Amino acid sequence: MTKLLIILTSVATLLSAALFATAQESQTPAPMAVDTAKGLPEWDKIYAVFSHPRCADCHVADDRPRWSGAHYGGTRVHAFNIQRGADGSGFGNPGLRCTTCHFASNSSALHGPPGAENWHLAPTEMVWFGKSSAEICAQIKDRNRNGDRSLEDVALHVRDDKLVAWGWAPGADREPAPGSAEATYQAIENWMAAGAPCPLTQ
Amino acid sequence: MAVDHFARAMDDNEGYPMRLTVDGQSFDIDADPEMPLLWALRDLIGKTGPKFGCGIAACGACTVHVDGQPVRSCSLPVGHATGAITTIEGIGTPGKLHPVQQAWLEEQVAQCGYCQAGQIMSAVALLDEVADPTDADIDNAMGGNLCRCGTYPKIRAAIKKAAVLKTARL
Repeated sequence: MTKLLIILTSVATLLSAALFATAQESQTPAPMAVDTAKGLPEWDKIYAVFSHPRCADCHVADDRPRWSGAHYGGTRVHAFNIQRGADGSGFGNPGLRCTTCHFASNSSALHGPPGAENWHLAPTEMVWFGKSSAEICAQIKDRNRNGDRSLEDVALHVRDDKLVAWGWAPGADREPAPGSAEATYQAIENWMAAGAPCPLTQ
Repeated sequence: MAVDHFARAMDDNEGYPMRLTVDGQSFDIDADPEMPLLWALRDLIGKTGPKFGCGIAACGACTVHVDGQPVRSCSLPVGHATGAITTIEGIGTPGKLHPVQQAWLEEQVAQCGYCQAGQIMSAVALLDEVADPTDADIDNAMGGNLCRCGTYPKIRAAIKKAAVLKTARL
């Protein structure tokens, strides 16, 4: 009789554990369906911003920001031996920080330096300059290469960061990034809702 | 706490009385906050050591320090210059030159001399952070200071000598 009780208790325990596991699985969100037909056009809007010279010129793989875009007539490295900084910070070198010339606002002088708060290069792992749409897309979803951000964090960063906002208000005759911060934020939200698909081709 | 004169004056869209601390002294001025700091230094305060070169932060002749960091004063709006400003006139005296000034004399760096105030201020900023700079450190710090006379080899030699002089004074 004792043996029977032990067996019945064990069976009951196993059953309840199995039921609990099933209940838990039913609460786990199902993998988001990827809707490339909706998502890729949204990504294209995002890529148009990220790859634009106002954004990409400071998202470089090496230590030198670029001067590129329509009004530059070509691509060249930033003059004056400007570099990321020996400490890797992106804020320049001792004696010649980015903020030696780039202040909190755009210069009003013809060809004067552009400005926004916190002017600096993006970290080396966040390379956009010269990268394909697929490459940037993969990078933006990789927390090791996007500043350890969720996609929602990326969207908020794009919408709210003052240095990012400069890309749409670069001053003088510089071509702004397409759209706006809000429109790009919305595009990221829409892209996420569609499963954040990336283009397959490089 | 620093006062953002720029933001305050932009509220009423006119000039604003402000107090600048330059070379350890306070100066009360009334200026459009968008006026370049260099204008305020030279025309309102009488500090003519910093020079006007290009007006777009592309030559370095106007370099001064704000809170110890070099800035191109031709492009920094005076309303944003909310820290302690140091010009070439404030780093040493005839009786006690700054090590960089002393080295500049000993190495006879200047030719026409127009860019030297800015060169020296950038060199001072470099040595404040890097006591014994390499050639690369010097090139990286001084790339924004142009010298039409081409005194770059002497500038490099003077910075290395200044590093020695500065360390010897400590």
